[in-house]
Amino acid sequence: MLKIEDLHVAYGPVEVLHGINIDFHESRIVTVLGSNGAGKSTLLKTISGILKPKMGVILFEGVSINALDPSKIASLGVVHIPEGRHIFPNLTVKENLLLGGYFRNTKENKETLDFVLKLFPILKDRLEQKGGTLSGGEQQMLAIGRGLMGKPKLLLLDEPSLGLAPKVTSEIFKVIRHLAQEEGVLVLLVEQNARKALDIADEGYVLVLGRCVLNGNSKELKENEEVKKLYLGGKNV
Amino acid sequence: MFSLIFRGLATGSIYSLTAVGIVLILSTTNVMNFAQGDAGMFLTYIAFIFIVRGLNPALALPIVILVGLILGFVVDRGLMSKAKKSSHLGMVMITLALTMILEGLAATLFGNIPLLFPPLIQGDPIKIGSVILDRQDFLSITAALLIFAVLFVILYRTKIGIAARSIAEDEYGAKILGIPLNKINTFIWAISFGLAGIAGMMTAPRLSLEPTFMIVIQLKAFIAAVLGGMGSVMGAIFGGLILGVLENIIAYYIPSIKDSFSLILVVTVLLFFPSGIFGKREVRRA
Repeated sequence: MLKIEDLHVAYGPVEVLHGINIDFHESRIVTVLGSNGAGKSTLLKTISGILKPKMGVILFEGVSINALDPSKIASLGVVHIPEGRHIFPNLTVKENLLLGGYFRNTKENKETLDFVLKLFPILKDRLEQKGGTLSGGEQQMLAIGRGLMGKPKLLLLDEPSLGLAPKVTSEIFKVIRHLAQEEGVLVLLVEQNARKALDIADEGYVLVLGRCVLNGNSKELKENEEVKKLYLGGKNV
Repeated sequence: MFSLIFRGLATGSIYSLTAVGIVLILSTTNVMNFAQGDAGMFLTYIAFIFIVRGLNPALALPIVILVGLILGFVVDRGLMSKAKKSSHLGMVMITLALTMILEGLAATLFGNIPLLFPPLIQGDPIKIGSVILDRQDFLSITAALLIFAVLFVILYRTKIGIAARSIAEDEYGAKILGIPLNKINTFIWAISFGLAGIAGMMTAPRLSLEPTFMIVIQLKAFIAAVLGGMGSVMGAIFGGLILGVLENIIAYYIPSIKDSFSLILVVTVLLFFPSGIFGKREVRRA
């Protein structure tokens, strides 16, 4: 479904991704690990078309999407849920959600809205409330729900657990797993909580300074000494 | 006193129409449109061409709205979307250039001599007891209210309107969702120029038609927008109406400060409400 070949991305003269290769193979959830500045968010922004690659190809369902507009890419079913959520604070929860389905018709949106509200029942009571009045966890649910309104085939998730309580994080990860396993959504997950990410992912990539240094299924990665030391907080944890 | 307020509301509705256009463009595209008034001026000249040829002035209004929509579309597609790639300040400068181009064009095509513009509806003033209400004033207020109602339906009930509001809130968030920013920006420019045309048509009968007749309105609309909190459509509407009414009352009782009043008002309001009367007091939990 998603295949990235030799992807180079630069901000002006400064190249931050130096030839990334990612292939979903048979995986449903792929996670990208790496410390700050490794280029994880840059990678997601390039897939969703916010940034344009300097070199390389991004194939989605066999079609090259690297030259397309973000709106075109979104309408193909690639939905990006950004770091920091970026919900619209002065729009109601319902308006926020409906904007996620900008490309869908009203009837489709109605069905998808029911589906989203079943996933996040808490949003149901808050439909007419302004997005900015929700708690952090609810806002993250709104951000994911809004993304799901676009009926994604591929979901790009950037730090969904950022600033959230462990309990809320678990809840959100449960939904992500459900989406991948039951609804057939592919998930590309960027996450600072490497342990949790590897727990739900089938496969992981480790980025260091814009290069992919390690790739393997998540079981292997969890056992890998380097990964343990750098991202899982040592062996005694 | 009632007719003072009424007359003030009529003037205020014109300020509001212009201010709303400015605020719509500012909040979605971040461009301060200095050409809002002059776009209205030019569109009114276009209406005048039809009117001299015998068209009923009231029927010229839909034509002006249509031409305004087209002009806004052309300005965005032809100038703004191109300039966006290079510099934001460039876009603001283009609106300034537009004022000069439009004024120059109007002067060249139609001359500098003030022309008498007919009222959009004929007929004697309406008398209610001792109060005399001008039909044209009545029209301005009704038209403005009607248009604001339509505008709110667009902004709150249609997909494209809600999308426009989302861009005003968080452009990056909207872009990443895949909302087509370019299309919506064009839509907003078109609507705002439509509003400019209406404002021009409402103003011309009370002043006279000349290339610079909308400059004062543009200035007052800025003040109205600032009063309303720059970025809130509702604020711009009320800012315009309040300014119109207060100005008219002051002009009657203290004529000596008539011209400086709007500036005194804006300074006073900003002193107590730094973000305008309707300025965003954001409801947001961290």
